[in-house]
Amino acid sequence: MKLKFDPELIKRDFPILSREINGKQIVYLDSGATSQKPQVVLDAISQYYMTSNAAAHRGAHQLGDEATQMLMEARRAVTRFLGAGSEKEIVFLRNTTEAINLVAYSWGMSNIGKGDKIVVTEMEHHANIVPWQQLAERVEASVEYVGVTSEGKIDIDDYKQKVKGAKLVSFVQVSNALGTVNPAREMVKIAKKSGATVMVDGAQAVPHLKVDVSSLGCDFYAFSGHKMLGPGGAGVLWGKREILEKMKPFLTGGGMISEVHKDGSSWAALPDKFEAGVPDVASYWGLKVAIEYLEKLGLPAQAGMESVREHDMEIVGYALDKLNKVTNLVILGPQDPEIRSGSVSFTYNGVHAHDVATILSENNVMVRSGHHCTMILHEKMGVAASVRASFNVYTTKSDIDSLVEALGQVKKTFGK
Amino acid sequence: MDIYKEEVMDHYEHPRNQGSFGDAPAKGGQAGQVIEGKDANASCGDMVQFQIRVKKVPNSGTSESSELEIIDEVKWKGIGCAITTASASKLSEYLKGQALKVVQEMSEEELLEKGIGFSVNPGREKCLTLPVKVVKKLLES
Repeated sequence: MKLKFDPELIKRDFPILSREINGKQIVYLDSGATSQKPQVVLDAISQYYMTSNAAAHRGAHQLGDEATQMLMEARRAVTRFLGAGSEKEIVFLRNTTEAINLVAYSWGMSNIGKGDKIVVTEMEHHANIVPWQQLAERVEASVEYVGVTSEGKIDIDDYKQKVKGAKLVSFVQVSNALGTVNPAREMVKIAKKSGATVMVDGAQAVPHLKVDVSSLGCDFYAFSGHKMLGPGGAGVLWGKREILEKMKPFLTGGGMISEVHKDGSSWAALPDKFEAGVPDVASYWGLKVAIEYLEKLGLPAQAGMESVREHDMEIVGYALDKLNKVTNLVILGPQDPEIRSGSVSFTYNGVHAHDVATILSENNVMVRSGHHCTMILHEKMGVAASVRASFNVYTTKSDIDSLVEALGQVKKTFGK
Repeated sequence: MDIYKEEVMDHYEHPRNQGSFGDAPAKGGQAGQVIEGKDANASCGDMVQFQIRVKKVPNSGTSESSELEIIDEVKWKGIGCAITTASASKLSEYLKGQALKVVQEMSEEELLEKGIGFSVNPGREKCLTLPVKVVKKLLES
């Protein structure tokens, strides 16, 4: 049985998607950059500010209690959604970038030393490259890059070679630029076997796939709520409890301490140790509502992320099919929806990605253009910039048709 | 905003002064200083390089200096979108024959207005201004 929902109906839950420009409804195909938010999430945020806003974990008044309760509920929702073992393992941060930086500074500075090897891949987002480069520079370690095949997949033989002797391996579960779904479980297994600590960047995976960190087997997992229908500013780091327990804090200050004295301070228990400053309860509460929204999607009732992935594959397959027929387009990344998620990116022969995106925008179709924060990957592919159409639960086949139609305007303008 | 106007498309399809002095040496006997600079657009990796050759000519206007430096030749090359290409092409045309000092004293905004003269929406601002930034930077050096 197909697990399904109707994206045309889902679309109605997202107020921004009914916006019209020049009398025509917008076609939003940039969900990989950030997703739109359903009305329930918007309502939850404003409801929080209208009824319960206060500084969580501080003071003993009624509103403070409510805010603290809401933060705890949000953490429970994320724990369930990720299949984590404990709420202590869920650290609330701003986004994936902050989560990777936390691990690079806190875990990295204590565990990576001179001559150690850090392994990432050529398809990483800059967020999963630059923090490791910075760490390597500080401690005189090295960063090695696992190759990507011409098909846009991880070169698994190269991976097996490079991870040997690595202290840390960090890779993306779903590529933001190619849509490739990497064999994450297998990759974690290989890296763990050779004794590495493993981090997975889940920014593009969590919006589309059912993620279960316990069965994935990694040590750290990071994602951003704003790419999965949640508000901006609600990101998550999951880490194995025994590892997080041993780590030093990253940002320090209020809320993350146990005691502060003139001669030094001690740290709060997990996860507070990593959450300095007054938390953004409204955003985490919004994330909780987004999780519940996703969990309730689909038929049979509440198939949740499984039906989200079903829809994702259908849209990716449809987009590949349609875009492959457009002359002058070169699709980047895997052609098989089974190993592709969330996006289809391409170059247009003879026309720069920014020009393509501008013309699409003039026709109300919004896509991403540029190197998508993957300069190393683009260099490898030999293209300066590409166009990416990316999707979410509200993306319909008719959105893809609009994209293809608008691409016709590129031909008209540039004659190619 | 329709940014792909006829003028922009003309400069994109037929870019003026493209190349470098290395590829196409200037005529003999016109020895002058060549200054060079390049930069990239961080959002897409596009790169533009400008080379400017300066010639000293007798200054008949004032008594301040007996010689005036003018931009004699301009060459540019790079990988870029239609906007960056048209912008670089127009700018190269404008720069030719300008007094070096005048261009050096111009702000980025002024150079954009006088040297390029077309505008784009905010999302493409970096494409438009990349050549201007390159030229401003090389003239400061």
